[in-house]
Amino acid sequence: MNQQLRDKAKELLERGTVECVIGYERATDGSSARPLFVYQPEEADRLIFDQTCTHNLVKYLLNKKDKTTAVVVKPCDSRALNLLFNEKQIQREKVSIVGVVCPGIVETGWNQVSQTLQGRCQRCRQHTPLVYDFLVGEPPAEEAPPAEAYADVAEIEAKPLAERQAFWDEQSKRCIRCYACRQVCPGCYCSECFVEQLQPPWVGIKIAPPENNMWQTIRAFHLAGRCSGCNECERVCPMDIPLSLLNRKLEKEVWELFEFQAGLSAEAVPPFATFKKEETLGIGE
Amino acid sequence: MAVGYQPRIVGCLCNWCSYAGADLAGTSRISYPANIRVIRLPCSGRVDPMLIVKSFELGADGVLVAGCHPGECHYLEGNYHARRRFALLRSLLDYLGIEKERFQVEWVSASEGKRFSEVVSSFTGELARLGPRKEA
Amino acid sequence: MTQTISRKNLLSWLGRLLEERLLIAPTHTTGPTLFQPVSTVEDIVFDFDNTALSAKEWFFPATETLFWAEATDGRTELVPATVEREAVIFGLRPCDAKGLALVDKAFLAEPADTLYQQHRDKAVLVGLSCRKVSPQCFCTSMGTTPNDPTHVDILLTEAEEDYIVQIVTQKGKALLPDNLLVESEVVPPPPPSPPVVPAEGIEEVMRQAFDSPYWSRLADRCVHCNLCAYVCPTCYCFDIRDYESKGKIERVRSWESCQSPGFTRQAGGYNPRASKEARLRQRFYHKLLYFPEDFGAIACVGCGRCVQVCPVNIDIREVISDIQKIGGRNVP
Repeated sequence: MNQQLRDKAKELLERGTVECVIGYERATDGSSARPLFVYQPEEADRLIFDQTCTHNLVKYLLNKKDKTTAVVVKPCDSRALNLLFNEKQIQREKVSIVGVVCPGIVETGWNQVSQTLQGRCQRCRQHTPLVYDFLVGEPPAEEAPPAEAYADVAEIEAKPLAERQAFWDEQSKRCIRCYACRQVCPGCYCSECFVEQLQPPWVGIKIAPPENNMWQTIRAFHLAGRCSGCNECERVCPMDIPLSLLNRKLEKEVWELFEFQAGLSAEAVPPFATFKKEETLGIGE
Repeated sequence: MAVGYQPRIVGCLCNWCSYAGADLAGTSRISYPANIRVIRLPCSGRVDPMLIVKSFELGADGVLVAGCHPGECHYLEGNYHARRRFALLRSLLDYLGIEKERFQVEWVSASEGKRFSEVVSSFTGELARLGPRKEA
Repeated sequence: MTQTISRKNLLSWLGRLLEERLLIAPTHTTGPTLFQPVSTVEDIVFDFDNTALSAKEWFFPATETLFWAEATDGRTELVPATVEREAVIFGLRPCDAKGLALVDKAFLAEPADTLYQQHRDKAVLVGLSCRKVSPQCFCTSMGTTPNDPTHVDILLTEAEEDYIVQIVTQKGKALLPDNLLVESEVVPPPPPSPPVVPAEGIEEVMRQAFDSPYWSRLADRCVHCNLCAYVCPTCYCFDIRDYESKGKIERVRSWESCQSPGFTRQAGGYNPRASKEARLRQRFYHKLLYFPEDFGAIACVGCGRCVQVCPVNIDIREVISDIQKIGGRNVP
């Protein structure tokens, strides 16, 4: 698979189809992966794809809006692509999508590569990207059935009120507002994030609850119906805050209320850009 | 619950229907609990979910958003969008430990002075029953 | 001859300390191991590589109120924040202790930052030598060692069942009663050796490398979060904002990072470091050139936290090696 990837990258660069190929290479610990930007065909031999390639590279396309770029995408990343196409943030014609058939990504950090599949991969139902120009890798002959999508969300929902409050207060206390979650997220691309607005000062600069609660809650809400489920936010959090419990709660609700899932198509109408006159959704009844 | 606890309610009312309805309650001398602090906005669709969350962060025990009945929005569609947003927000807030009952969305028209007072009375009573919101 | 303290005596001493002072030590949390106040010695973690955040948060907190101001009867009253409690930081690794000494150069230079000064004055540092080296460590290339006593008040080194005690300062001597110490023949174990990073002469090379396309290539993958700065023992950038409520003003200082996209945005909207390249380059220039020029030392202690925590593997050791090569030096 690596050779296929490298050959395709070389071809795209040599032909001038793209100015840059964004993929993965080995990191300095010798075991995990990191993003790689290839500008010359001879650099393409550094490209790899394996179960440590956790990053969502789609985010980088937002820095290269005026350039032609190829990007290596896993199925979850391809959902982010659809989101950004849908929201008119990147132009389809400028992107060459190199899809990879994904066997699932393992729990990985610097010098900490394990054999266990990440939670999002255990729940994953798509091994082939939803959109691509070229596909690398063979779809598997058989697949293990995916894990239950919302078991952990349901666990929180079932907790009594005081325990739920305590749980989220605990997450809020640990947050150091590094914004790694926001910075790696393809859905977070506002030129001025609400958290930086001074007029009105929605959230201040205090790295403490309750501002941290406001930060976590609103970021999740701004991603409702938009989150691709790549889970990078949770992976990069230095304080091990289970952010996917927030994002996937909203994903579940958006499905139940509006029958919509983010990233399945670049043409779908987003749930908050439309409405049904006759729906009530439990409001005003 | 402490004797004398007065719930503090933030009310986001749309100018054309619910604010007018509240006004009508006033001019009709229909009384309702003074626990609600009203903020007038052009439309329930303009109510940013951040306003709701911020109100709770600043210490509100309950938040009420009131708008025109669906189909009667002065701006035609604002309340349809509001309905979707707030259905989702209610669910999220409940998950985070802010009970569903603390965030109400009601449709009140300009002629429904009495209904407005009933909405506020019932909401205040519900919040008194629930007690103060636990601070983080 | 060395002085030692038994583990039993150490724990009972710590137990007494936490009754009078704030005892801050590495503890388990539902997330990573962090320096936190402990209410019982059982909560102290002894078997750890290093904490996720350095001890700097106890001297330069993530969020701190600087003062309150209130106008009453036409008079404005300013109430500065003060640090009241005496503290002991226990379990500080030599790299983190050096980190504090480097932040001192910036914060204690005249005029000294009053709150930081108070935190420093009121705290006693009890260091813990490293028994082993982690893959991200490179302290010996940054002017310290796994058993360096220079920047702590007391240094403990594990040796068999006991701890070798080095009393470094008067503050340390005042804290640890002599009667708990025992003369011993125990020889300090040799310190472990972290891998070497070729940092010698990096300043001169950096001076020439400012316009190198290297920085742009490196910045490609940087996501500009604040992680490297927040976990770093020597980073000290901050933001200040006034909170106003019913006529009272609270001035708050919080951590910020030069990597934040808006960090250098000025009133009017101009941003001299708007590009990713400029911001990422700034981090390495501050650490490897500007701070040495201003204060005489590289602003890095080789703890390796930035290496561990960076979501995209921007590795200062690799950067140093790459820049040396760009400068024509023959390094691994």
